[in-house]
Amino acid sequence: MSRRVSPGLRSGSLPLLVALMTLLAGLALAGLTGVQALADGWAQAARSAATIEIPTDIPNASDRTDALIHALKALPGVTNLQKLSTDKVQDLLAPWLGQPTDARKGLPGLSLPTVLIVAHTPDANLGSTVHDTLPEAIVQEDMQWGQRLEHLGTSLVGCAWLAVVLIAAIAVLSIGITVRRSVAAQKRAVEIVHSLGAGDFTISSHIAGRAALLSFMGGVAGLVLLTPLTTSLATTLAPFTHQATVPSTFPTTLDGWWTTLRILPLSLLKELGALPVIAALLGWITAQGVVLVWLRRLP
Amino acid sequence: MIRLRDVSLKPAGVGQPVLHGMTLTIPQGEFRWLLGPSGAGKSSLLKLLTLGAKPASGQMDILNTPVTGASRSTLRNLRRRIGFVPQDYRLIGEWNVFDNVALPLRLRGRSERDIRQEVFAVLDWLDVAPHAHSRPTTLSGGEQQRVAIARALIGRPDILLADEPTNALEDSQARRLLATFQELIDLGTTVIVATHNEGLVRDAPAPSIMLRDGTLDPHANEAIA
Repeated sequence: MSRRVSPGLRSGSLPLLVALMTLLAGLALAGLTGVQALADGWAQAARSAATIEIPTDIPNASDRTDALIHALKALPGVTNLQKLSTDKVQDLLAPWLGQPTDARKGLPGLSLPTVLIVAHTPDANLGSTVHDTLPEAIVQEDMQWGQRLEHLGTSLVGCAWLAVVLIAAIAVLSIGITVRRSVAAQKRAVEIVHSLGAGDFTISSHIAGRAALLSFMGGVAGLVLLTPLTTSLATTLAPFTHQATVPSTFPTTLDGWWTTLRILPLSLLKELGALPVIAALLGWITAQGVVLVWLRRLP
Repeated sequence: MIRLRDVSLKPAGVGQPVLHGMTLTIPQGEFRWLLGPSGAGKSSLLKLLTLGAKPASGQMDILNTPVTGASRSTLRNLRRRIGFVPQDYRLIGEWNVFDNVALPLRLRGRSERDIRQEVFAVLDWLDVAPHAHSRPTTLSGGEQQRVAIARALIGRPDILLADEPTNALEDSQARRLLATFQELIDLGTTVIVATHNEGLVRDAPAPSIMLRDGTLDPHANEAIA
């Protein structure tokens, strides 16, 4: 026999609301993970590249360029050095200067610079080596782009977190309204229980317990709804994680599920797994607050 | 013991107090009829005594505990020692009869085994045990009233208040109820019964609290103030 000491929570819509919120939160978290990875990749790539332009109309340009290439290759921290061909430089400048009619002669009246692309670690002292060896050369560090990309990445991550926080706030508001309506609908029963000596916390805990259970169920349902999107994301990410084969979007075995899902970062899987628990916690806290405030109107 | 000193009651949104200048003392273990014409303030006084409202002014002690300025936990504990049979029964329609009657014992943390025994004993005594698993809304007015009486009696309260507790009962049931009230008084319970039933008052003569226009009738209450 049930041990009834207070009216419960009447709400058929709460699990559905929480399921939709969980779905949205899951999407936002997946987006957040993707944006974070992308931003890190951009910043990393931009921080470790530099472009060196060497004018070709200086004395002994060819020899001095070779000397610089030699010095750079010997420099600790330089991981790769590539000298662009004249054709490649012409191709790069074509949008501004146009294509020459004869590629071998180049653009009339213009001497194209020699361009070196240097991949390096952040601690490589590129600037002073170039300055000492070939002062006429111009070093264009992509660091500044790296910083801009880093700022962009941080902003995107911030936006994603803001979306998660907003979804949580909307969930709290929805649960609060639902609980408030339920208590108002059972006003008479709550007043009777209160008049017989039920404590505020007894009443609120009973309602909050039910809210937590319904929110948890909604959270689990939301995760189930999210599954096709999660596996789809995993199959999209598979080529970037050097997987030999692309896993199935709709696996039919437990092993298949694991193969698909383990492509996703463990932190994302943990966050998604925590969503029903977080939903239950938000449901419990919100219902407690709403009911306790409502009960203050009773003597 | 119940003690009121110059107590008034003014519900929110009401200009004039519905009770004013109430001063009375009822020693523990005594019986009082609560009498007066409709609108005299009987239900308001019962609401005050069941701690369903706080006095707007004056001092009120229930079971030797000052109510004015009392904490919510003190009021909660006092409510558990008061049994009340409301005129409109105030049963929870979504719960069955058993759960309604068991509620005061559950709030006191009693074991389900004890609760089951006691609830069925009191329902049996009031001839409503066969309806233990029915919802109150499916019962007649008289049966609902007996369920409300069962809920008020089950906790063996220190104060028992009843608002027209016999108006839906047959004469024999009303007499049994009065006999039960007498047993409770013998055990030290204070009992106050509001009624319009003059025949009932004649059959069981006892001191009365007479209300008129929201205050004690000065001519009828000289002995109790």
